[in-house]
Amino acid sequence: MLIRTGIVTQVLIEKALPSPERRAQGPYAMIECFQEIPCNPCSISCPFHAILPMEDINELPQLVPELCTGCGICAGVCPGLAIFIIDESKGDEKGLISIPYEFSPLPQKGDVVMAVDREGNPVEEAQVIRVVQSKKIPTPLVTLEVSLSKIHGIRFFQPIKNEEYIGDDRNTNPTTTVEPKDGEEDTLEMADETIACRCEGITLGDIRRLIHEGYTTVDEIKRISRAGMGPCQARTCGPLIAQEIARMTGVPIEEVDPSLHRPPTKSLPLAFFMEDN
Amino acid sequence: MSIPSSASVVIVGGGVSGCAIAWTLAQKGVKDIVVLEKDTLAHGSTGRCGAGVRMQWGAERNCQLAQFSIDFFERANDILGYERDIEFEQTGYLIVAANEKEAAQFKKNVALQNSLGIPSVYLTPEEAKDIVPHIDTSQFVAATFCPKDGHLNPFHTTEAYALAAERLGVTILKHTKVVGIEVENGKIEAVNTTQGRIATPIVVNAAGGWSKEIGTMAGIDIPIYVQRHQILVTEPLEPVLTPMVMGFSYNIYIQQVPHGSIMMGRSDDTEPFDLRVTSGWKFLEEMTRTCGTLLPYLRSAKIVRQWAGHYCMTEDAQPIYGPVPGVEGFYLALGFSGHGFMLAPATGQMISEMILGEPLTIDVSDLDIGRFERRELFFEYSVV
Repeated sequence: MLIRTGIVTQVLIEKALPSPERRAQGPYAMIECFQEIPCNPCSISCPFHAILPMEDINELPQLVPELCTGCGICAGVCPGLAIFIIDESKGDEKGLISIPYEFSPLPQKGDVVMAVDREGNPVEEAQVIRVVQSKKIPTPLVTLEVSLSKIHGIRFFQPIKNEEYIGDDRNTNPTTTVEPKDGEEDTLEMADETIACRCEGITLGDIRRLIHEGYTTVDEIKRISRAGMGPCQARTCGPLIAQEIARMTGVPIEEVDPSLHRPPTKSLPLAFFMEDN
Repeated sequence: MSIPSSASVVIVGGGVSGCAIAWTLAQKGVKDIVVLEKDTLAHGSTGRCGAGVRMQWGAERNCQLAQFSIDFFERANDILGYERDIEFEQTGYLIVAANEKEAAQFKKNVALQNSLGIPSVYLTPEEAKDIVPHIDTSQFVAATFCPKDGHLNPFHTTEAYALAAERLGVTILKHTKVVGIEVENGKIEAVNTTQGRIATPIVVNAAGGWSKEIGTMAGIDIPIYVQRHQILVTEPLEPVLTPMVMGFSYNIYIQQVPHGSIMMGRSDDTEPFDLRVTSGWKFLEEMTRTCGTLLPYLRSAKIVRQWAGHYCMTEDAQPIYGPVPGVEGFYLALGFSGHGFMLAPATGQMISEMILGEPLTIDVSDLDIGRFERRELFFEYSVV
């Protein structure tokens, strides 16, 4: 499901969670990065060496929970917004979750927002406790106080507008886009300059031009543009391109041909396969 | 797009050959041409090939067809009015001889090539090392080099032909599979597809891996077989390998593409004859061993992907061109034996001349389907 919808499964989440003992001790980084892509800012930025060094940039980050202090630097540098800081140690049936947030305007301390789950479904109203942004934490981290029992289901939030949650009509189908109201800017629309394929440096604008030209499968776009031919093998851009095809052509995402995945899963040197190795 | 009910020519296969034939015919003024592709353009052998083009062949016809094609590729962006780039780069092919017997054959090949005006040369291993500094000279006894050989992008080349053909009025139908061919009294009548029937007097079979099946639909048994061939590609590296390096008995072709990736392939005689395009472990081991021995420098390069495509093989490893006795209007452009991509411009020229009854630019009348029964075969050994 992750590859098609971008939504993490429960099995993966449970694997990423530190032990209950560690979780009771204080804040920790929850790393929800499950696809090998060429990316290492979390590992190289951790001042406590709590994320193991990567021999290969495609490796998944590995947290050593005992060394992690929950400082938030990794969450603030992760380009995929895949790291959250969770504190379950307060002891009053409430917990704190710090969420990287790239939208503007930034909420302010004391605001009440709608905490939502990984699919964007509303979970509960939550108060903003803290908003941090610094040189070391370039992506703002917004800390919410939420029910401890719901903390592992909450991963994002929406501002509450006119006492109505704007995401209501896209709960069940993550591919449905919200039409902006007249005069209202559609903040969900990504800019043309957004890099869709990081391995090959292909922008969303490049992809959109190809879809416009009539290329409506991920593989056709890959062949013409190279998007998806790099070390990550379309793990990052594949779902994005499929989503864009669905959005622009009106075809449901389930019917968009996904990119073929080519072995090996992970880049390995030639010598690794040679007999004398 | 709705399917036309009739056409003057139906070309089966949206690979580079089919698109080149369509463009060449359209450019000569033929109207109502339809190209049928069961998947997307360049989805078969074209899009999976090694992307090299060379004039260094052992059979005269292959040399001539390649010469014609390379001359076209040099000007293709302009001729086809292509806004992107087919990325043709003439960085040469260095072909290594693993033993004295092969070296002797190479001397003959170079003599033939030179007689046709192909600027290839015969080299010692030391001279070869000047061209490819990272090569292990203990692994071969001689080499040949042609600086006008090179490589180009198969996807863009196919697209360039397809867009130019469409501008001339050709209808290209993707996701449209041929399910039957109607032949009445020894004449082609129509093609039936998953989208409907197209009445036509002429069908060109350019279906690559699927061309035997298309032949069966017209009631003929084409003497070809299909085999899986695999390729792997590394992460992009700084420029380290200028020409394509190739060896026939060594069983390798390897080149660095403009993007920086090193791409390499080899063949496996033990492969069954079928249409699989899955990736295999055995290839990975054999390929890395071959490459790591000849070019030890590349042992540390990281592999990012592996894929497979088809070779549509004939007994003599030369293509089958032209009409089929007994089925009027049925033309073959198939059996390219692993070098259909590089011959595409010539294929377009030959088939268009045959359909229009024009004199042949290159006399390929001996590459007809009848040569297998007549046993008039000239075997091409310069293949991997």
